[in-house]
Amino acid sequence: MGVVTARDQQATNASSQRAGPRTAAPQSGFAPWKNPSLPPIVRFEGITKRFDDFVAVNDVTLDIYEKEFFALLGPSGCGKSTLLRMLAGFERPTQGKTIVAGQDISDLPPYQRPVNMMFQSYALFPHMTVEGNIGFGLRQEGMPKNLIAERVDEAMGMLELRQFAKRKPNQLSGGQQQRVALARAIAKKPRIVLLDEPLGALDKKLRQQAQFELMRIQETTGTTFIIVTHDQEEAMTVASRIAVMEKGVLVQVATPGDIYENPKTRYIAGFIGDVNIFEGTVSAIGDGCIEINAKDGYQFKTRSSEPVAVGQQVCLALRPEKIRIAHEQPASAVNAIPGKVEDIGYLGSISHYHVRTAPGERVTALRANAAHTVERPISWEDGVWLDWPVDAGVVLTG
Amino acid sequence: MSAKANGLGRWYVIAAPYLWLLIFFLIPFFIVFKLSLSDVATAIPPYIPTFSWSEGIGKFISQLDFENYTFIFGDPLYVNAYLSSLKIAAISTVLTLLVAYPMAYGMARAPRAWQPTLMMLVILPFWTSFLIRIYAWIAILKPEGFLTMFLMKLGIISEPLQIMNTTTAVYIGIVYSYLPFMILPLYASLEKINPALLEAAQDLGSRPWRAFWQITFPLSLPGVFAGCLLVFIPAVGEFVIPDLLGGSDTLMIGKTLWNEFFNNRDWPLASAVAVILLLVLTIPIVLFQRQQQNERESGR
Repeated sequence: MGVVTARDQQATNASSQRAGPRTAAPQSGFAPWKNPSLPPIVRFEGITKRFDDFVAVNDVTLDIYEKEFFALLGPSGCGKSTLLRMLAGFERPTQGKTIVAGQDISDLPPYQRPVNMMFQSYALFPHMTVEGNIGFGLRQEGMPKNLIAERVDEAMGMLELRQFAKRKPNQLSGGQQQRVALARAIAKKPRIVLLDEPLGALDKKLRQQAQFELMRIQETTGTTFIIVTHDQEEAMTVASRIAVMEKGVLVQVATPGDIYENPKTRYIAGFIGDVNIFEGTVSAIGDGCIEINAKDGYQFKTRSSEPVAVGQQVCLALRPEKIRIAHEQPASAVNAIPGKVEDIGYLGSISHYHVRTAPGERVTALRANAAHTVERPISWEDGVWLDWPVDAGVVLTG
Repeated sequence: MSAKANGLGRWYVIAAPYLWLLIFFLIPFFIVFKLSLSDVATAIPPYIPTFSWSEGIGKFISQLDFENYTFIFGDPLYVNAYLSSLKIAAISTVLTLLVAYPMAYGMARAPRAWQPTLMMLVILPFWTSFLIRIYAWIAILKPEGFLTMFLMKLGIISEPLQIMNTTTAVYIGIVYSYLPFMILPLYASLEKINPALLEAAQDLGSRPWRAFWQITFPLSLPGVFAGCLLVFIPAVGEFVIPDLLGGSDTLMIGKTLWNEFFNNRDWPLASAVAVILLLVLTIPIVLFQRQQQNERESGR
C-alpha cells in the first residue's frame, strides 16, 4: 500500500471544476477523434527531436482534430514545448513529418505556416500600441488599412481591450497583456492557435478567469487550440483531450475524464489528481474481476480492463473520493480495511481523511460534507473502516 | 539629530560631483570665456585683459565688445571650418554606425559564453595609446605603406594609393578610433531584446529581413542614438586625427583652433573659437542627456 497525497488542494479544484463547466460544455457530444473517416487537422508522424545527445521528443505520432482544444501536459522538460515549437516552425524535427490540413509543412519556415502562437512571455512588441500589436500579423499580409482596423477592433472587442487600444504594453497589467497576446494570436484567424504556457504568469484567481476566457474564445471562433501546460488542473479545465508526455514520449492521449478515471500508468495516476496505490500480485482471475494479494495480507477484488496473468505484479489505483469511510465495519463490502484516522483536512465542501491502515501505510479517503451537522463526526484517532466496490479502482501494470 | 546628519551626508554626496564640475569645467570655461573677450597683444601671456578687478565691472561692461566673435562670423574661413567639421563628424558617425551595427548584432546573437570575450576584443585597442594607433595608420595608409604593398602584391592596383593626407584618411581614422563607442551602446540595446519578439514577428508572417526592420532596428534605436552622439560629439572637435592623417584640404575646427593658438598666438580669438564650438555642441549634448534620461525612465 502506498499513498500519493501531495496536491490535495489542487486535486480538489480540479475535481470541482470538472464537475462544473466540463459536463455543461457543448463539447459533450464532440468527439471527432472517434470518427475514423474524419481527417485530422494536425498530424505528427514519428516526430523525434534531438539536441546533441539529448532526446527532447521521441517518436511522437499524434492526430489533433479541427475545433479541438488540445492540451499537451507534462512536467517541465518533458518535450511538450519543443513539440509545440516544431509545429510553429521554430525548431526542426530531427525525424518525422508534420502535416497540417493534409499538407506536409515540415519544411515551411514559421512565417509561412497557418498557425499563430501565444508566447509564454507574451512577446508583445514594446514599441507598438495594443492596436499595433494586434494588427501586426494582418499588416504582413498587405491587407487594406480599413480592413485591418476592422479586424483589430473585432479582436479587441472580443477580449475587452478597446479602451486600451492606444496604450503601450508596459502600461498594461499582466492580465491585460495576456489578453493582448491572445488577441494578436487570433487576429489573423489562423486555423490553429498554439498556446505555450499562456497563463503561467498570472496569479491563481486571474488564471481561472483566463481559462474560461480561453474556452469562450476557442468556442466562439471555432479555432483549433493547442495548449502546452504543466498544470494538470488547467489541462483538465480547458481541454477536450489531453496528451500526457513524460521524458519526450507520449504516455496517454485521452479525454480529461478518461485520463482521470482510467490512467494508463502509475505516473499519470499520480500526476493527475490524488491517488492511493496498493501494490500486490494477481492471485485469481474470473468473471470480469481479479483478486489481488496486497503486500500486507489484504485481499482485494476489483474489475480489470487490463489483461493480467496470475502471479503478475500489479498496482491498484484508487481515487480518494471512491473510498467510503465509516465508523462501523460495513456488513457486505467486497473490499474493506480497518485503520485509524491520523489527519483530517477540512476544506469546507469536502474533507480529506488520512487513515493509517498499517504501520507506515496511509490511505486517503474523501467525503463530501453533505449534512449541516453530523451526530457522530469522524475525528482524530477514531478507529474507522474503509471500503470500496469492485469497480472503484484501476489496475495498473505499468 | 541623526536625520539632520543624514541630510547633511546626502548633501555632501550630491555636492561632490558638482564641486568637481565647478573646479574642472565651469571655472576653466569662464577663464576661456574671459580670454575670448580680451584683445591680442605681443606680450606674455599674449593678451591684454579687458577686465581687471581694480577697474571694476562698470568699465568692463562699457568697454565690452565681441570683436573676436564678430570676426569669426565675418570670416568665411572659420564658418567653413565649423561647417566642414560638422559634415566630417556627421559622415564619420554614419560610417561608424554602418560598421558597428553588424558587429554589435553579431555580438548580441553570439552564444552567451562567447560574449564577454567579444566584448574584451572590442575594448582591447584602448590598451594601446591612441597616438600610437594613429601613427600605425600612417604606416598603413602612406603611398609606400602596408595597404598599397598588399594590394599591389595581389595585383588589384598598379599605382600606389593616394589615401594619406586626404579626408578619406580622416574618415578611416575616426571610424577606427571611435568604433568601440558605437559598438558598446548598440550591443547593450540589442542584447536586451527578447528573442521571442523575433519569433513572434515571424510567427505572424514577417520574413526575417522585414522582422529586423520592424522589430530589431526600432528597439535598438536608443543604442543607435547614444552611439551616434558618443561618436559625433568628440569627432566635431577632433584634432589629432585630421592633423596626422588629414591633408591641407581637410578643414576641421580643432585644427584651426590649434593653429590660432600656437601658430598665430592669438589666444583671445582661439578662445572665442572654443566657446563657439562648445555652444554648437551643446545641442547634441543636451539631446544625449535627455535620451539617457528617457532610457532610465523606461528601463524601470
